[in-house]
Amino acid sequence: MDQTLEQAAGSPSAADGGSFFGIPYGWPLVVAIIAVILVMWMAREPLRRVIWQMFFITGRVFGRWGLWLTEHGRNARANCNEKIAAFRADELQDRMLVLEDRMGRRAEKLAKETGPVIARLDKSTHQLATAASELTDINLEDAAERAFRAALPSMESGRGLNKLEKNIAQSTARAMNDRLVPVRPALQIIKAEAPRVRELAEKLNKTQNEFNQSVDEVNKTFGEFEMIMRSEDRSKIAARASIVIPWLIAVIITAIALSGVFLNFFLIERPMAEIVGEGARIAGIGLPTFAAIIVIFLEFVAGVVLMDAAGFTRLIPAFHAMSDGSRKIMFWVAFAFLALFSVLEMTLSIVREQIIEQQQETRDLANRALIAPSLAPAATPDAAAPADAAATEATPADDGLALSTVAQLILAGIIPWLLAAAALPLETIVRNSVFMLSIVGSFLMLMTAFICKTLSVAFKNIGLFALTVYDAIIFAPLWVERRLKGTARNRRSGGGDASGEPDDTLVLDRKSANQPQKEPKRDRDREKSREPELQKA
Amino acid sequence: MIGRTMVGLGTALALAALSGCGLVTSTNRSVFFIFDVSGTYVKAVPDAAKLANITIADLQPGDWVGASQISACSFSEKEIILQRQLPTTPSLAASAKRDLFEAFNAYAAQVKTAKFTDIRGALAQAAFDLKQRPEAARYIVLFSDMVADYGKSCDTSRIDLDLAGVHVIAANVIKTNPGDPEKYFAMLKEWEAQVVAAGGTWSLVSSPDQLPKLVNGV
Repeated sequence: MDQTLEQAAGSPSAADGGSFFGIPYGWPLVVAIIAVILVMWMAREPLRRVIWQMFFITGRVFGRWGLWLTEHGRNARANCNEKIAAFRADELQDRMLVLEDRMGRRAEKLAKETGPVIARLDKSTHQLATAASELTDINLEDAAERAFRAALPSMESGRGLNKLEKNIAQSTARAMNDRLVPVRPALQIIKAEAPRVRELAEKLNKTQNEFNQSVDEVNKTFGEFEMIMRSEDRSKIAARASIVIPWLIAVIITAIALSGVFLNFFLIERPMAEIVGEGARIAGIGLPTFAAIIVIFLEFVAGVVLMDAAGFTRLIPAFHAMSDGSRKIMFWVAFAFLALFSVLEMTLSIVREQIIEQQQETRDLANRALIAPSLAPAATPDAAAPADAAATEATPADDGLALSTVAQLILAGIIPWLLAAAALPLETIVRNSVFMLSIVGSFLMLMTAFICKTLSVAFKNIGLFALTVYDAIIFAPLWVERRLKGTARNRRSGGGDASGEPDDTLVLDRKSANQPQKEPKRDRDREKSREPELQKA
Repeated sequence: MIGRTMVGLGTALALAALSGCGLVTSTNRSVFFIFDVSGTYVKAVPDAAKLANITIADLQPGDWVGASQISACSFSEKEIILQRQLPTTPSLAASAKRDLFEAFNAYAAQVKTAKFTDIRGALAQAAFDLKQRPEAARYIVLFSDMVADYGKSCDTSRIDLDLAGVHVIAANVIKTNPGDPEKYFAMLKEWEAQVVAAGGTWSLVSSPDQLPKLVNGV
């Protein structure tokens, strides 16, 4: 019998020593499995609740996290879009102000420019009109007729035809000439004034074009500004503003400026030892190095203040609230500081050269003494004096040294101002980095939300699967229970309809089958919230 | 001048504040040169002075320099040749280094021989002086043939040396007996053992360019 059970179970016999979780294969294992199934059947309600809570509640938690992250991610993106749009609006507003200012100044100049032009044009027009009226007064036919009549007495007195013709021609020419003499100045005026009028007309046309161009630019800027202010689609507005490209350009410019900083650092590091001394380290950095870094930072700060006070950047909020007078003061203070730093660096570059020379001379003195055959003559300063005297003569190396000192001086004078210019792209870097981080942050939140929602769905489905597997395991006792309950019910009702039985354990959704179909609660809420909107509509 | 004073004052205040936080450390070192003037080595003292000079040439501003000689009874203030700290600014330090060159050259030019060679006494004197110094890195540069010869009145061969935290560098160690290299190497090993036993570290320098590198790390 045991052998049969073991064969039926398809497992090695207990004699082989095999076991499953300490239970020997064979009938003990079969009994244990049956017992487990029975226990699972008896404890089906609490265990199913446990499975439900384990998977469905975890899934719901993930789902809520997903919803929360989606909402906040979208809000963050919307806020970022709003900020970008606001920044773009600010930019356009500034641009409009600049254009307006430029147009105002142009308009002031325009009266001065166009006044003489118009006066000249008026004068020329008057002269042209006078000349034209004089020209219209000339009656050539009448002049010719008069000339002919004037020639008649001479014709009568004349004898030959040739003489007659000659007389007529001479009279006509004289008469015409007499008539044209007063007209000639008018013709000269027309000749002179016509190109001038054309030139003035071109000038006026150019001025008008420039003005129209400025107006178009203002209109375009204003149109964009208005669109930003009124548009509901903030993401579209934000997408129109480029963030990455200006940021990249600013980073490249700043990197170049930083290379200048390194150059500056190596220029002033050694001579700083002459001011602050050597031998100490602050947080592992040598004191001259530390001092040089501080000087560079101070130069940079002075540069930032200068650029902000000049209105090129808006890094320091306090400058926005300042009056123009205060800003001017700050500008000149920063300018003076930068000029002082420039002088300081130039001085340090000279000191640097001196230090290098002194150190080199000291080393040379020690090394010369080592190489020299006898100690005393080579090592003493007296002995070194003739060599120094010889060295006083100008050599190409000295010339090179002097040139390098001049180069250092120029570099030291320029670099603080270049550092100040590095503050210009800094604003773009700071602002656009904030925008980029906000966008990346919102995307990360949305991505995490997606992962949470996916996990939520996965947990819920795993829970459903676990419940199905559970039901499959306890299918046999459930089936027996149903059969038994069905028989008892038949006995009580005398063979009535079994569909009204509330305890059918094989039917999972029995309540939903009997109750009327209700809308999900969420949809009901939504419908309620829509009612006022519908009423308004 | 006023600006420089103000900067110096500001730096001093900042350093004082940072020292309280333990952020400020010193990179200075103290170097003590010992010249052997016993009969067998006195001729090599000028060369040793040159080696000392090239070592000093590479010292940093703020470093401390001391020098003494090995005589019959070396554990004495009388044997100390000079003690000087280099100024912290590079230009003044360069000037001070030249003064030291001059001092060593003058010493090497007029050095007088000693009858006995009290090396341990000289080491003890140098170690004692170095212990008084605040610098963290301490070096003793020993110019000697390392052959000790103690007099009866001043026998320091059995005194305990305390060389903890001191790096002893034996430089320009001439061979007194070229026919017996084994003895030479055994003697060096013995000295190394004595220095290590006293808590110090030992180095042997054979070429002139090694000494500045070992002391200054350049």
